[in-house]
Amino acid sequence: MPWPTLNDPVHDSQRMFRQLLAAMSEPGTLHTLAAPAPPQDVIGPALWGALLTLCDLDVRVLLAPALDTPALREALVFHTGCCLTDEPGSADFALMTPATLCEAPEFALGSDEYPERSTTLLVALEFLDSGDTGSGTWRLSGPGIPAQRTLRMEERARPLMLRLAANRQGFPCGLDAILGCGERLAALPRTTRIEEVV
Amino acid sequence: MYVAVKGGERAIANAHRLLADRRRGKRERAELEVGQIQDQLHLAVDRVMAEASLYDPELAALAIKQASGDMIEAVFLLRAYRTTLPRLAVSEPLDTGSMRIERRISATYKDIPGGQVLGPTYDYTHRLLDFLLLAGSDAPAPERSEQPLEPCPQILELLDAEGVIERELDDGAEPCDITREPPDYPVDRATRLQMLARGDEGYLLALGYSTQRGYGRNHPFAGEIRLGQVEVEILVEEWGEAVCVGEIALSECQMINQFGGSREAAPQFTRGYGLAFGHSERKAMAMALVDRALRAEELGEEVQGPAQQAEFVLAHADSVEASGFVSHLKLPHYVDFQSELELLRRLRREYEATSPGRTEAAEAGPSQGEPQASTADTANPGSTV
Amino acid sequence: MNGYNFAYLDEQTKRMIRRALLKAVAIPGYQVPFGGREMPMPYGWGTGGMQLTASILGADDVLKVIDQGADDTTNAVSIRAFFERVAGVETTTATRAASIIQTRHRIPETPLEPGQILVFQVPIPEPLRFIEPSERETRLMHALEEYGVMHVKLYEDIARHGHIATTYAYPVKVDGRYVMDPSPIPKFDNPKLDMSPALLLFGAGREKRLYAIPPHTRVESLDFEDHPFEIQRWDERCALCDSAESFLDEVITDDAGGRMFVCSDTDYCERRREESA
Repeated sequence: MPWPTLNDPVHDSQRMFRQLLAAMSEPGTLHTLAAPAPPQDVIGPALWGALLTLCDLDVRVLLAPALDTPALREALVFHTGCCLTDEPGSADFALMTPATLCEAPEFALGSDEYPERSTTLLVALEFLDSGDTGSGTWRLSGPGIPAQRTLRMEERARPLMLRLAANRQGFPCGLDAILGCGERLAALPRTTRIEEVV
Repeated sequence: MYVAVKGGERAIANAHRLLADRRRGKRERAELEVGQIQDQLHLAVDRVMAEASLYDPELAALAIKQASGDMIEAVFLLRAYRTTLPRLAVSEPLDTGSMRIERRISATYKDIPGGQVLGPTYDYTHRLLDFLLLAGSDAPAPERSEQPLEPCPQILELLDAEGVIERELDDGAEPCDITREPPDYPVDRATRLQMLARGDEGYLLALGYSTQRGYGRNHPFAGEIRLGQVEVEILVEEWGEAVCVGEIALSECQMINQFGGSREAAPQFTRGYGLAFGHSERKAMAMALVDRALRAEELGEEVQGPAQQAEFVLAHADSVEASGFVSHLKLPHYVDFQSELELLRRLRREYEATSPGRTEAAEAGPSQGEPQASTADTANPGSTV
Repeated sequence: MNGYNFAYLDEQTKRMIRRALLKAVAIPGYQVPFGGREMPMPYGWGTGGMQLTASILGADDVLKVIDQGADDTTNAVSIRAFFERVAGVETTTATRAASIIQTRHRIPETPLEPGQILVFQVPIPEPLRFIEPSERETRLMHALEEYGVMHVKLYEDIARHGHIATTYAYPVKVDGRYVMDPSPIPKFDNPKLDMSPALLLFGAGREKRLYAIPPHTRVESLDFEDHPFEIQRWDERCALCDSAESFLDEVITDDAGGRMFVCSDTDYCERRREESA
């Protein structure tokens, strides 16, 4: 079954972009994207919708081996025209799982002069909510967050979160991440201070 | 009683009607046809195409008509249209060596293979007003040679064969597209040439002229200037070959400039390059001068003149950007002005409070026609950040 | 409108701007270069703000456009009419009713609310430009967080005038890192930038830069311990609504020096008059 695209590319992508913008400017807030569901459901509608919204001919995307299927490759290139790359350092977007992040690929972090030239991670999670207790809970603060927020995700995501927490040391360089789980997503830009709730 | 100004929308609509009326002019005269502009004001059309970066003589003529002959406004109209066009293909590099020549001259050799071809030029016209044109007169058809032109090789290639001029090789790098990417200073030469090609002719002329007068002098010779038609080709992948999709008129200027050289490299002439749509010879020459001046850093020359300062030259070359920002001063600035005024009055009150001896003079100044100096030195708020 | 895409810009341009916007909110106060396009309005007249508005605007949005705080100034009228024409969106003059507000030189007096987006038109995005004209140099200064020259400039004002002589486009520091030009808003409006519940986006079309301040972000106006930042105050009140809190425009009423002061924010002023009527 071919992967579905947006019914109304102009207005659907506008609506989803606004959700992505809200997610990135208010880190840790959850947004439900009304995006078409990809078959097999490996990455969920939210991340698929984000890819359809953001990618085009000028964009290089890296697919983590765990998610890299012929069907996804074909669908992504066909619907967006983006270039696929195996070079993490040249990727504008990288579609990852928490497990593939453990291997610590060398993504672009930007430079002090051009901090925006960095990879944006799109991470497919199995669990994501705003819970404030229990294992896998992270406390967030920083720009876009009045006082603090919490996010809870599967424990397997710990290396990912530690890596994002380390962003603060390299600021303004760093990685920005969009976390997707089914229809929901949240974003963690490099400005967010991340602490594990123990 | 103060009433807030309303009805902006109506005022704007009426201004547009008035503008259309002025553009039309006296109704007893025939309305100007776009085709007349295209044919009879073709140098204006060429300039608009060059600075708008869009080759479309009919639309450029329309823009000139719509702008009532205001060239910068016409460039802006065509540029704004260009930005909405889809990009269907990227052409192969143009081969100006195989140009269908209408004019071709070299100032460096008396005779050259293919000959000096004067073509249509104002160069040797005596600048006497031709009153016959007032009445309208038929121009006699020009004499044309029976023989086709001999091949006209590029003069600089002849020098190149001898090794006395620097060689220019395609490094294969994908050129930046200035219409899609913001300039990231310092920019490479391909980017610079793009920016100069759409730069304002008057601005480039003045900068090029300044290099001749000593502000970054580089001893130019007009190696070759050629005007004519060049084929535009597009590579069709299915056919595996390039296909001609049409011809455009171009003006090209290759300047030969004084040499560089070092212990490692023998001295060689250097180059400055200019290219513009249509018959835009002055533009191409000015561009070549400025291109060469901007190579100062690359060629190890001291940067002395304004024309050698890349960021300064390039950031201010675009007439659409420049006229927009200058004209924006017409927009209301009440709020910022009020802020300055409030500060200025406060500074003056404080000044008067602390310098009683000068209070009277400062207050009396404007009404009694006193020189402004006494207030000017206290009231200068300085440049604002 | 026939022949043009929704909100004028083509989708590829919108995507390019949208990607840049996501980076802008991720690096608050940093100027992201973007491939600014020609708009059918002159540079310097709000083309940067318009490109941002066009890239975020949806069919359900309600748009408000102000210039100098007023909805009825000619350029605000013109930009509003443009979006009505190319996007068919609903427009409003009421700050509370708007989901997107494009502005030149003011932040509305009515406090902004969560979910609202304020788009600023920016002429010169680089706060260091009048101290250092070269882009290469200012980029390096931002990279190295070398902002000493800005303090020197402000201090020179104090030495000369006894006050910081910058009254608009007053530089701020965003989240303790980037010095940013808040666009030529009066410094009266600077405190509204700090911990704003609304998302603040800045677009400079001619200079091809965009930047952002996410909601709830620290924004401090640069100052000195012995010369703390302060905003303009008027002795007068608005002659129409009697507000003592709003930014006032001075209006000359006759040629004998007569003048009055009225709110620059027309929506705020009208609402107050309606409420008191």
